[in-house]
Amino acid sequence: MKLSEREDEIEELLVEREVRQFLNYEAELLDSRKLHEWFDHIADDISYRMPRRLMRENTAESFSEKGYYFNEDYGSLEARVKRFDSEYAWAERPPTRTERYVTNVVIQEYDEETVKVTDNLLIYLSRGDSEEHTFYSAKRHDTLRRRDDSFEIVERDIRLNQTVLSTDNVSIFL
Amino acid sequence: MAADDNHSVLEQDLQDARDALDEGHFPLDFFNNDELHELEKERIFAQSWVFIGHESEIPEPGDYARRYIGDDTFIFVRSESGEINLLFDSCRHRGAKVCRAEQGNTSHFRCPYHGWTYKNDGEAAGMPQKSKAFKELDREDHGLVHVPRLETYEGLVFASIAEEGPTLDEWLGDFKWYFDIHMKLPEGGMEVIGEPHRWVIDANWKTIADNFNGDSYHTAWAHGSVLDLELGGEETVGHAGTGDSMDRHIHCDGHTTSMRGFEGEDVFMTYPDEIVEDLFTKEGLSEEQWQVARQALSFTGGIFPNFGFLHFGDTTDDPNKDVAPFFTIRKWRPVGPNQMELWSWGLAPKNAPQEFKDRMYKIYTSNFGPTGNFEQDDAPIWKGITDMAKGQFPKSQNLQLNYQMGLDWMSDMSLDEEWDGPGFAYSENLEEGGMRLFHEQWYEMLAGNAREDALGTSMNIREEQ
Repeated sequence: MKLSEREDEIEELLVEREVRQFLNYEAELLDSRKLHEWFDHIADDISYRMPRRLMRENTAESFSEKGYYFNEDYGSLEARVKRFDSEYAWAERPPTRTERYVTNVVIQEYDEETVKVTDNLLIYLSRGDSEEHTFYSAKRHDTLRRRDDSFEIVERDIRLNQTVLSTDNVSIFL
Repeated sequence: MAADDNHSVLEQDLQDARDALDEGHFPLDFFNNDELHELEKERIFAQSWVFIGHESEIPEPGDYARRYIGDDTFIFVRSESGEINLLFDSCRHRGAKVCRAEQGNTSHFRCPYHGWTYKNDGEAAGMPQKSKAFKELDREDHGLVHVPRLETYEGLVFASIAEEGPTLDEWLGDFKWYFDIHMKLPEGGMEVIGEPHRWVIDANWKTIADNFNGDSYHTAWAHGSVLDLELGGEETVGHAGTGDSMDRHIHCDGHTTSMRGFEGEDVFMTYPDEIVEDLFTKEGLSEEQWQVARQALSFTGGIFPNFGFLHFGDTTDDPNKDVAPFFTIRKWRPVGPNQMELWSWGLAPKNAPQEFKDRMYKIYTSNFGPTGNFEQDDAPIWKGITDMAKGQFPKSQNLQLNYQMGLDWMSDMSLDEEWDGPGFAYSENLEEGGMRLFHEQWYEMLAGNAREDALGTSMNIREEQ
């Protein structure tokens, strides 16, 4: 088939490339703890959620309908970001060393304005003066909206794999 | 050194620590010690009333949740007849686990190994080929094993794996006067929202026990970020011993609560007027309890050995939104000398409008639990204490931690003689007697004595001795 006959696929490929570039850029901002620059990419109508995962006998992917770790709107997410400006935010003094690996990026649907995308996220975390490290693993369901030459995050649903967390706290954004 | 000598060394260390408590000291190395961890499991956790869960977590017949006491795993389950049971999760044949989910609903638990099956009240219901293979085996003697003692107070279920000992009612004693305020204030009581948060912290359980037994002093410092952001009011998060609030530290039958409030004002922990007017009731409370609830802004507290609670007003998740209260209960389960699993539940009045319950749960998660703006900053501090306790230096230097705040030569601490509630009410929150009381009970139980031996010795105020 000629390239000219595959315009739809090419368009999707370009969208996927843009989304991938954005997610990698976003991961870089969070890994370097440029939280305010990251927050610039949060939409005013953000829904940022991380439900509590449940361990059930018959279903692999089960999440609480009521319980969650995060259920943030713009104001409460902004407060969480600003908190780390305080010299008393001991959880991140010194900052957690993180590396985010964003993979399995799949465009679920898109139009001119928005893109729905899922990805897998693996975060390496280490803290303090120690060799200890751990990981968070999650699948994310995002809705991104085009803004200027980039995207803003309108919805993020973080489906963590852990039911019992192995870190002292969750003081990073996923 | 022979094992016996080791044991006597530990006994002497314990006795020394008890003596040091009278001077407001406690050894750092006790916060990370293998031998003490083993003793704590045997003499405290196997002898105490340990919190299991709230009835509202398993509302329907067959609802269950896996729960733990020390190293032991149980199934917290409501039977077909509606009774609450706590069953040891181990098949009577070969000991395999019969419950494979954290929470769920089932009429039966079936062992995966050989198919022995149990009803949700623990009774053995089926053993494959029983008539041929186990014809003389008495089914009634082979049900899942119930915990020896299981009791409920205001929907809160506690268990003890000791066959004998004080009843739950005796264990809680007059402290119920204070906890009644939390559970009975709203008509219909409180209920748990969602499932508990669980996370493992590399810290000794006594660090958080200290914190919940009256550490008003840490709030403004450890949680200064919350104050900086105005996510909590000055009187909720501000420095202990400052401001216009009425601050009390209360010790009652071995349990403690810290309270901040405003004398003579209608505060009700900043519950909105419609909740106070439509839902709050004097029915289960005395006039004195009602007055405490009315003037209260916030409560923190601990029930010995490993249950804590926070019922706070004047907090928010966003400085541009209205403040609201939250209510959390939690337990800390030691899983090693330097590790514990935290369990944290968010609660709300059962009969409140859904929108308000949602708001309370939101405020809870914004402030406490693993993602809480307060609690994020506690855990690394407790981990730090535990890290520093493990080496040779604390022991070789006999490093003693300081719990002297409120002792008579440190400050002019006094009792509130007008206080209407049971126990001792200290008229300020700059004192650490609740922690000393915790460690004193810890000592008595480790020494093999009754916990009550520690009660009523008001060592906070020497004149009274």
